[in-house]
Amino acid sequence: MDERTYSSGALSVICSNLTKACEKQMRPAEAEQFRTIGTYFATQATKSEAKAFADLNGLIAQDLEQGYPQVASAAEVAGDRGALRCMTWGKKVTSIHKSVLARYEKQGDALLAGNNLFVCEACGFIAIAPTVPELCPICKAPASRFVKI
Amino acid sequence: MHAARNVALCTKDCLCLFICPTGATDTETGQIDFTKCLDGCRLCVDACPSHALYLVFDRYPRKPAKEDKVVEALESLLDSKVAQEALAEALARSGSAGAKLAKALAMSNRILAEDCAREARYMLPQSEQSKALLRQLAGQPHTGDFPAEAVGKLLASL
Repeated sequence: MDERTYSSGALSVICSNLTKACEKQMRPAEAEQFRTIGTYFATQATKSEAKAFADLNGLIAQDLEQGYPQVASAAEVAGDRGALRCMTWGKKVTSIHKSVLARYEKQGDALLAGNNLFVCEACGFIAIAPTVPELCPICKAPASRFVKI
Repeated sequence: MHAARNVALCTKDCLCLFICPTGATDTETGQIDFTKCLDGCRLCVDACPSHALYLVFDRYPRKPAKEDKVVEALESLLDSKVAQEALAEALARSGSAGAKLAKALAMSNRILAEDCAREARYMLPQSEQSKALLRQLAGQPHTGDFPAEAVGKLLASL
């Protein structure tokens, strides 16, 4: 596949992903260099002027109705297991975003009262619960991979 | 190929200290001293009763390029997740009610976007695709604070 030109936001994501890969390979110097480049592109990225959670609904619906099904069909044709795994987890996590936003719309801050927010750093799953999940229901990562917000 | 310690699993039985021929396992930080560790030795990895030691590889296999259609579909999702992260970040910055939820959504979207980037082309930092991107960035005009030095160092070391 040919080179393409990425937005600054996408470059920031590619670099933060490669930062994590370098950390897992125990290469702190390279991790720091990718972090520096990623931070630069994060500052260059277009800032949003969003005012309401409802502004997310259109993109979430588009991902669930078009984005993930397109990955699924291309990955099935290609026999690409990695892309199918990414699609399976991503679609589930995105459906959780949709349901969390629907519940927040109805209940407001009562949804969060007495609860904490945890994000699984392996798959992005968001848990709203008093205590950290023992196991991620989407990707089965252990409690140690959850970050408390 | 050197050893590394997962500190969360270490039970301080210290068999690595008994077996290590160079003292690389005995450090202040709890991590292995990679400069003392012998390439491919793996004595500590086999001796550890808690499986807290493992080998970190220096070389990784070349991955076959993904099908164009898979890359296109994943990178289009990547762009969507980037836009959602930006929306959630704006909501988190506003400091209004639900800012914490917005922060969680921003972080979640970043992880989803990274997964798309990884599966599309950029799993390994030392892959041809990652290096091609770094070369592309190095050759483009940028604003004054572009970290050209970091890009150059990566191209030299990866």
